[in-house]
Amino acid sequence: MSPSAPPRFTLRQSFALVWRTLRSMRTALVLLILLAAGAAVGSLLPQIPNSPQRVASYQLAHPFFGALFLRAGFFDVFGSWWFVLILTLLFVSLIACLIPRSRAMLRTIRQRPIQAREIDAFPQYRELRVPAEPVAAAATARTVLRRHGYRVAVAADGRAVAAEKGTLREVGSLVFHWAFLVLLVAVIVGKGTGYVGHATIVEGQTWTDAAFNYDGDLRTGRFSSGSHTGIGIKLLDYSDAFRQSGVPMDFTSKVELLNPGGTLARTDTVTINHPVSFDGVRIFQFGFGWAPVVTITDRGATILHGPVVMGQNAQPGDNPLTVPWIGFVKLPTLRPQVAIKLELYPDSVAYFAGLIAGVPQPMTQAKDPFMRYSLWKGKLLDPSLSGLDTRFMHQVATGGIGRGWTVDLARGCVSSGASSSGLPSQLAGTVCPSGVGSGLTMSFPQLRQYSRLQISRDTTVPWVLAAAILILAGLVAAMYSSRRKVWVRAEPKDAGSVVQIGGFALQRKDRFEEAFPKLVEDLDAAIAKIPADRREEVGAR
Amino acid sequence: MSTADWGRLSSDAFNAALFAYIAAMVLSFAYLAFRRTSFHTAATVVGTVGLATNGLSIVARGIAAGRTPWGNMYEYSALLTFLIVLAYLVIVEWRYHVTTLGGFVYAFAIFTMAMAVSFFYVGPTDLLPALNSYWRQIHVTAMITASSLLGIGCLFTILYLVKVAVERRQIAALRGETPPPILGGSVDADLDVPPDYVPGADEPVGSAAPAEPARRIGLPPSATLDRLAYRFIQFGFPIWTFGVICGAIWAQQTWGRYWGWDPKETWSFITWTIFAGYLHARATAGWKGAKAASIALVGFVSLLITYYAVNLWIAGLHTYAK
Repeated sequence: MSPSAPPRFTLRQSFALVWRTLRSMRTALVLLILLAAGAAVGSLLPQIPNSPQRVASYQLAHPFFGALFLRAGFFDVFGSWWFVLILTLLFVSLIACLIPRSRAMLRTIRQRPIQAREIDAFPQYRELRVPAEPVAAAATARTVLRRHGYRVAVAADGRAVAAEKGTLREVGSLVFHWAFLVLLVAVIVGKGTGYVGHATIVEGQTWTDAAFNYDGDLRTGRFSSGSHTGIGIKLLDYSDAFRQSGVPMDFTSKVELLNPGGTLARTDTVTINHPVSFDGVRIFQFGFGWAPVVTITDRGATILHGPVVMGQNAQPGDNPLTVPWIGFVKLPTLRPQVAIKLELYPDSVAYFAGLIAGVPQPMTQAKDPFMRYSLWKGKLLDPSLSGLDTRFMHQVATGGIGRGWTVDLARGCVSSGASSSGLPSQLAGTVCPSGVGSGLTMSFPQLRQYSRLQISRDTTVPWVLAAAILILAGLVAAMYSSRRKVWVRAEPKDAGSVVQIGGFALQRKDRFEEAFPKLVEDLDAAIAKIPADRREEVGAR
Repeated sequence: MSTADWGRLSSDAFNAALFAYIAAMVLSFAYLAFRRTSFHTAATVVGTVGLATNGLSIVARGIAAGRTPWGNMYEYSALLTFLIVLAYLVIVEWRYHVTTLGGFVYAFAIFTMAMAVSFFYVGPTDLLPALNSYWRQIHVTAMITASSLLGIGCLFTILYLVKVAVERRQIAALRGETPPPILGGSVDADLDVPPDYVPGADEPVGSAAPAEPARRIGLPPSATLDRLAYRFIQFGFPIWTFGVICGAIWAQQTWGRYWGWDPKETWSFITWTIFAGYLHARATAGWKGAKAASIALVGFVSLLITYYAVNLWIAGLHTYAK
């Protein structure tokens, strides 16, 4: 042996050791338990993809552990390197187990049952005295065993039958494990190449599937090409229905689905539990909100006209339906820059009824909608429409506006429309004195709703489903079948023969103990039915 | 009858069932302690009455709410107790003729009901639209059925571990009491059992023990307990798998993703993993017996966390409890 040989041998040896370790059930068990433990950590600590705010507040509350957990990936367990490592090892371990088992399986299927020598030594054993000739008895036994679902082989002398069943157990187990592997791969491919995000669409508006049109929470898989479909969704109408208790019954978006070119493909309805599939994406009803249409004019010229998408600052425990909606209008081109904060009460009747009763009432429909507004001037720090940073701004005026009104923003008075509404008297605005206005007016011609849809693309969902069904089928097959072996041997005795029947089960032995006498009974009955003439004929030979 | 009447009937029947189960538990333990068949008969009758009232409570609740009464933790718990007691009476008593385990099962049922009343009670209310899917019925039925079966399996695993300890002590005591060999004679071969000896189902340990008084703990032999525990877990595991898959299909329809590591999802996966580990351990040399049983115990804790803790303490999408 050359001097360089030993290290190479050791390397191979250590590789073999690693492979052997991975193949062992003990390793698979430990990996499964580690996987469970990792998932438990992921459910007990807030996770960055699900609730980044809670992660941040956790880190503020526990600076030491917060930093430690962050470095360990505990705040994003399911995307952390060690979780992926456990999964990968489990993968390799599964494959390492499955390949040799599958090979052995194929060998077993091809193999015919082997004859046994001492049948009376098996745990289950019976002897029958029958008038039939041995070969005929064995042939009948073969038929009966086949009827009982056994694979059979008749011995060369024709007097003995070897039978076994329960291959389904190993097949089922293998199907289960392979399907589990397919499931993992399909999940990874699907999540990796797909995306999920949310789209806010006001009634009458059209939204196009492109990365920058999402609400800012688009999650794209690691292996995604980054391309989007370019399809359009036009929201024709959003409607909802509530029970008297305020519990929602349904949220429904009627949409027009547009091809990437902009041509109409079809109209459809998206509701809870009834998503719509179109061009490889699935569209789900996710949320809703109010979008008052406002028109802003400056010295007679319209400078802004359109819906303002509103959100809510509901506190935990609040019924969101009782909470006013908040939106912002920002006019960065004016000098000084102007921002208008709007607070909408979609159903002012219910709102005031709630104020009087002391119990907030849900505002489920647009009934005399009313907005409070405040006008701010100064320097806009943030162009986003979800909040207002007032550090460099000052409040100029406040007031209220009903649907159909026009208000003078800087003076906080109503210039037209106030008489046409049926609002509670508390909300009746002061009418502007005649004369020259401030120049900046806002009108509120219409209240619309918007629908929030979840748009997702995951191409492997059918694969995942198929794998899941196979997992279940394999599991049931593996658990409720057992491997059984039975041998029958007939020897001539006096005019007829003695039939020996023996067998055992590798699993579910108690069930076999019950099944065996039944099998013997069937064999006895069938052999007894062998016609007499055949008996003689065979016997004469 | 008005819906309010049905609601009241449901609550009354729930309470009646609770008291019936308590009585059945006391009678079952009395049977275990005093071995009088009349106690067992009484326990079976009272338990069956409790089961019927429990069923009545569920039906009345469904009529009061105008929907399948599987919409919140209170309703799940009523269904869970029903299935636990049903599974016990049908499988353990009727199919396997094991009569001494009732007290423990009723105790488990009482615990479930008490938790439901103290933490999860809500009136028969309407459901959120997301729950308004036939997948709810399938998913919930599967999960609760599986929970009852796995729960009973784990309960028997605990009893198995207790019994194994008792048997070991008996064997040790037997050895200690054997008179020392006289003049080079050896200890009786039958008594010379290895310390890890686990008797088979057909050879209950202790029956041959002369030192044991007549009134001993009447638990079935550890092998019977082990087999029962395994059967229940083996029965429950595919149903749990089915339930999780149905949940994923429903989640795909409602939330647009079949899996999102929501706490309830995560814990149902953890529970699945642990019981998968248990089933593998039983087929692995060196892990059988107490080692596999301890995995089932971990599974039991995980099952309880999946069922209770997620709703009580961890926020998530499955917060239908409040």
